[in-house]
Amino acid sequence: MKEINFKHKMAAHCESGTVTALLNHSGLEITEPMVFGIASCIFFGYFESSNFPFPMFIVRNKPGSIRKNIAKRLGVKFYNKSFKKPQQGIDKLDSLLSDSQPVATQVDFFYMEYLPAYIRTHMNVHFLSIIGRNETNYLVSDSYHREKAELSAEVLNKARFVGGHMAPKGFLFYPDYIPENIDFNKAIVKGIKKAAHDMIKLPVPFVGVKGIRKFARKVTGWPELARDVDHLSHEIMKINIFLEDQGTGGAGFRFLYATFLQQAAQRLNDGQLEGMSKRMMAIGDDWRNISYFAAKIGKNRDLGKERLNELSQMINVMADKEQAFFSELYKMVK
Amino acid sequence: MKEKEAHIDFDLHPLVLYVEKEDGSYGSKESASYLADHYLDDYFEKVKKWNFELKDQLDKGEISPVYYYMIMLELGEGDLASRTGISRRKLKKHFKMEAFEKMSLKLLKRYADVFDVPVSNMLHFTVINEKDQEKLKINYQDTNNPYITISKIEVKNEGN
Repeated sequence: MKEINFKHKMAAHCESGTVTALLNHSGLEITEPMVFGIASCIFFGYFESSNFPFPMFIVRNKPGSIRKNIAKRLGVKFYNKSFKKPQQGIDKLDSLLSDSQPVATQVDFFYMEYLPAYIRTHMNVHFLSIIGRNETNYLVSDSYHREKAELSAEVLNKARFVGGHMAPKGFLFYPDYIPENIDFNKAIVKGIKKAAHDMIKLPVPFVGVKGIRKFARKVTGWPELARDVDHLSHEIMKINIFLEDQGTGGAGFRFLYATFLQQAAQRLNDGQLEGMSKRMMAIGDDWRNISYFAAKIGKNRDLGKERLNELSQMINVMADKEQAFFSELYKMVK
Repeated sequence: MKEKEAHIDFDLHPLVLYVEKEDGSYGSKESASYLADHYLDDYFEKVKKWNFELKDQLDKGEISPVYYYMIMLELGEGDLASRTGISRRKLKKHFKMEAFEKMSLKLLKRYADVFDVPVSNMLHFTVINEKDQEKLKINYQDTNNPYITISKIEVKNEGN
């Protein structure tokens, strides 16, 4: 195995972890929370779509936007390319690895065989770094795995070139230019402004705080959509998965965002922002309580009208808290 | 979240949480899945039940294997249609045996590829008795013919 000297490290989230690791490898010292915050990742959206087997929610902005926003705000330039023909994508990856260039790729999470089978669902927006190869296998650095892992070329190629919703098309990226002087303070302010704006001002009824309210409203109707009580229990327990287990750093990225705000406050020497980071940590604790609550009522099949109304009410409280929080944050950076 | 509250010891499913350290600073901590640590058995029980119920429906001819795998793998209809390149209208028809039994082998393979099973598994289930599942596994070996797979029942090596 020809392995590139690359520092593998677990991270909260696959995309922010991958972008951070590649930037660090290229010589830019930056933390995962800082990447997450500057890229305005904190978000909420409630979706009902045939692309998903059941209504679901997201707690971050659109996949791929971390790289794009980091490029825009820090002036970093990324090589990035997707491929119509798989062989071209395979050849490009191999050629970059031959030049000792670690490179991120987008894959279907289902094929990450080194992770437990029960977490591997078809989800086309998983990111990892490829850091070596031999004739049959690739060496990968995946933020969700303690160690570097090997994947056969056959499996990785399948994962890179599957079809479906948000098909990866073999997408590759790596930073190929890091500016010497970066105005982090300006980037932080822009990142906060955009995130706060998108949480409270987007005129779309299912995103931002409006999305949280829609979630609160809709969750009481989930029994009508479920096949039976076990299915409903599974979907209710997935609230915990979406908030905690799908690479969020806990509480639907709210703990990660609190950490960003603390690091931002220190950099900007801004006491008010430090206070906001504490508030965001407390908001995260409340989301984490919703995760525990959903897991408990799901496990106990305690899913009657009264209990779902209680859950709905807890989610509505979060909408109120995030409305107040992001309105204040927006005013601070406007 | 305080660092000490984030301690979850479940080696199978590690993850990174961001927590408040004792000195008031926020940072990362390697922890694990609370849900998997507490409720993984419940999940496996549900999967077992769904598998049993759907196979019973298959047995009665009420659903097709396409529907079986879609539910077991938690795929959305739109996503499955897009992955296979089959229209949603046709896909819905393929949930029933009437349309499924008329499907070409080529079409069947498109489904099998997405479900990541040999095409033969769209018509045949090989099952290892529950009591032997810790010892035995099924290994699928591809051949040069894309429609032919060899299923080998093998003794698991230690630690796998």
